[in-house]
Amino acid sequence: MNLKSRFLGLFLASWGILQLSTAQTPLDGLMMKKGEICVAVVYEDARWDQYWEGTYLRTNANVGTFSRKSIMPMIVGGISDKVNIIVSLPYVKTSATGGQLAGVEGIQDFSISLKAQLVDQTLGKGKLMVFSNLSFSTPASNYLSDYLPFSLGFGANELGLRAIGQYELEKGPYLRASASYLHRGTTEAERDFYYQDDAFYTFTMDVPDAVHGQVALGSWFLEKRLRVEASLTALRCASGDDIRIYNSPQPTNKVDFDRVEGFAQYYFKNVKGLGVLGYYNHMFSGRNMGQFSGYGLGLTYQFNAF
Amino acid sequence: MKNQLRYILAVITLGTLSYSCMEDLPTEYEFTGYEFVELDVDAGEWNLVLFTNNEQVAIPQPAAVGSPALNQELADAKSKIQNASAAQKEAVEYWTNNPLLRWNEIALELATKYNLIPAPNPDGTYPAPDPTKPDQYPLFPYSHPPYTSRMLAYLSVAQYDGLIMAWHYKEKYGRPAPYELDAQIKSAYSENGLKSYPSDGAVVAITSRDILTAMFPLEKEYLAKMAEEHLESLVIAGINVSSDVEAGKLIGTEVSKKALARAATDGMRNAQTNKVKSDSIKNAAIARFGWYWENQETPQRPVGLTPLFGRVKMWNVPTVEEVRPGPPPAPGSPQFNEDAEELKRYAKNMTAKERSIANFWNDGLNTYTPPGHWNRFAKETVVKYRLSPVRTARIFAYMNMAIVDAGISCWDAKYYYHYPRPIQTIPGFKTILGTPNFPAYTSGHSTFSSAAAEVLSHFFPLEATQFRKWAEEAAMSRIYGGIHYRFDAEVGLEQGKAVGAYSVAKAKLDQVD
Repeated sequence: MNLKSRFLGLFLASWGILQLSTAQTPLDGLMMKKGEICVAVVYEDARWDQYWEGTYLRTNANVGTFSRKSIMPMIVGGISDKVNIIVSLPYVKTSATGGQLAGVEGIQDFSISLKAQLVDQTLGKGKLMVFSNLSFSTPASNYLSDYLPFSLGFGANELGLRAIGQYELEKGPYLRASASYLHRGTTEAERDFYYQDDAFYTFTMDVPDAVHGQVALGSWFLEKRLRVEASLTALRCASGDDIRIYNSPQPTNKVDFDRVEGFAQYYFKNVKGLGVLGYYNHMFSGRNMGQFSGYGLGLTYQFNAF
Repeated sequence: MKNQLRYILAVITLGTLSYSCMEDLPTEYEFTGYEFVELDVDAGEWNLVLFTNNEQVAIPQPAAVGSPALNQELADAKSKIQNASAAQKEAVEYWTNNPLLRWNEIALELATKYNLIPAPNPDGTYPAPDPTKPDQYPLFPYSHPPYTSRMLAYLSVAQYDGLIMAWHYKEKYGRPAPYELDAQIKSAYSENGLKSYPSDGAVVAITSRDILTAMFPLEKEYLAKMAEEHLESLVIAGINVSSDVEAGKLIGTEVSKKALARAATDGMRNAQTNKVKSDSIKNAAIARFGWYWENQETPQRPVGLTPLFGRVKMWNVPTVEEVRPGPPPAPGSPQFNEDAEELKRYAKNMTAKERSIANFWNDGLNTYTPPGHWNRFAKETVVKYRLSPVRTARIFAYMNMAIVDAGISCWDAKYYYHYPRPIQTIPGFKTILGTPNFPAYTSGHSTFSSAAAEVLSHFFPLEATQFRKWAEEAAMSRIYGGIHYRFDAEVGLEQGKAVGAYSVAKAKLDQVD
């Protein structure tokens, strides 16, 4: 009989926020050589004080400012020069400045992905690279997905298939585009009745599939020790319902967003293999999600393992 | 390269496995027509709720077996059965021979759809639903637990009185069903020999349509469409001819009118008060007890939910005062402190089991509410015991009268004692469930659930242990969720039990359970 407005908010597409811009992510145009390993840790702090209920942007004083902090260890390894494996396991903490609902924290989703380079050829004054990426992620703790906006993630398995193309000039500038299809499974609520344009008599909620696209323009500087990049990211769920008026979000919602990001990564000259990275991003349109702005800071260390 | 392929295959396999078990998710209870454990042929003599006499609604004497009029109807029925479309055959399967269960499900779906709390205006004030302009935001109704409990009571009582009359006439006129009169007609359901005049299905279709249309005016067209489909299915199923259906419609229409006349004057229209009245209720509590409840949202809701629901006319309890519990422990008293400490402990160290209980019973906004949850249990138990339509209606009527009486009694206590919620009394307290917009003492979940469990235990004694366990779990769920003190829950359970006993006592007068 929870009659009070349960405080609204936003669905955090976990990977949407946590898809790191760090080196060797499933999304970028970089590869590790065979036997190379990169270990990274990225801290991210993202916030919103408005969210999209459907496409209507609203504030809710019972949430106030919503905050999501995460720390994500990640390992990238070169199985061969052309195939890399990437694993990550974020720890996430959510809270709100308004209202009386408790935030949560814990381990989110374990993600494993394989990235293969399919094309690497000289073209004019630069080279053209094409990559494909197959990823799988699964909840790594018993967090409750049906506790939005505080949930750590959407609580479902996700299988992703991506294509990435990059054209890079010898002088350093590059242009990259990627497109992905993300197939999500179902998540289990702790109630066996919910409403999604109809009454559903089950614990199981269908998390909508999504497509994800990104365009990035960047360049290398300082003899390839500094990389700077600006990107535009769009996510669209293939199905799902809207948050009902002044109601809580739920994992079945159709989550969309468009986001701009600035990113930089620097490899130290004196300490071999050590790098730092930082980024800032901001969502400028969306649906059924909080209008996040956030920054991330990370350390990367790269070495030859075999 | 072989190794790499193996890695890729492993990922694909893992992914495929996790998706291969996807299926269509159920939007209704999956059951089909079934053979009734008994036909309850004497049900026409059971006590009515709204009426005093089982012939208070008159229907015409039916055409005799063998008469040209009835033969023509049988011929028409056969033609309809032969020409039935796939959709019509599907409808026969959907409605079943106990269609009250489907209408109850539709009622729960609408309760869920309309269970949204009004959002604040940009200036920080709050709008309220207006029954005279139902389509203006916030839509009418806001089907919160009091609203839903009352809606279900009217629905179930109308269905029950209508079916008692139908059973009376079925025995009185004794007209055999079409499948008994014509060898070419087969019943889509078990051929149980139930007399067909008047159609019990039509009684259920019309009472349900009319009560629900009054309760959810924006759903008028949807309900009319569902009723049409249901009425049509009765002839196509081979269990009724058109005069059976017409007579059932007559009963349904008159019974609904009587039920809605009661609803118009039961006090519900005054339940949601203005701020002046609401403040006077609060000030009376301050004068009596020295404490008061206040909404903790931002912007603050100026009036709690239905402060005068406790004055709504009860069904089976003579006066609300006779089931009003004694006062709760004062904030700051040793017993209060003990129960507040318990809440802090749960908030700090919640087990997975406690969390899932809190969420399972939450039944908050955008759900069918606790009254709906108990209607669902009743539905599933009715099917398990293969009860006849009239016996089914009996259980829903006595249970839903007890549930709304429990709600009225609970709301009386809530606004009489006006007791603050944990988020108001415990500084910095955070919860995993949203705190509702009304005072704490006593717990609605506990009171509703205990009353429902009491009635269901009477009708299904073999299931009593399970029902009472569920009620206790529903009560505990609010403590785990941080929105009720233990004394709210425990006193609520007692209160619900006391209210439920009135409904059981009335049911016992029939001596048929």
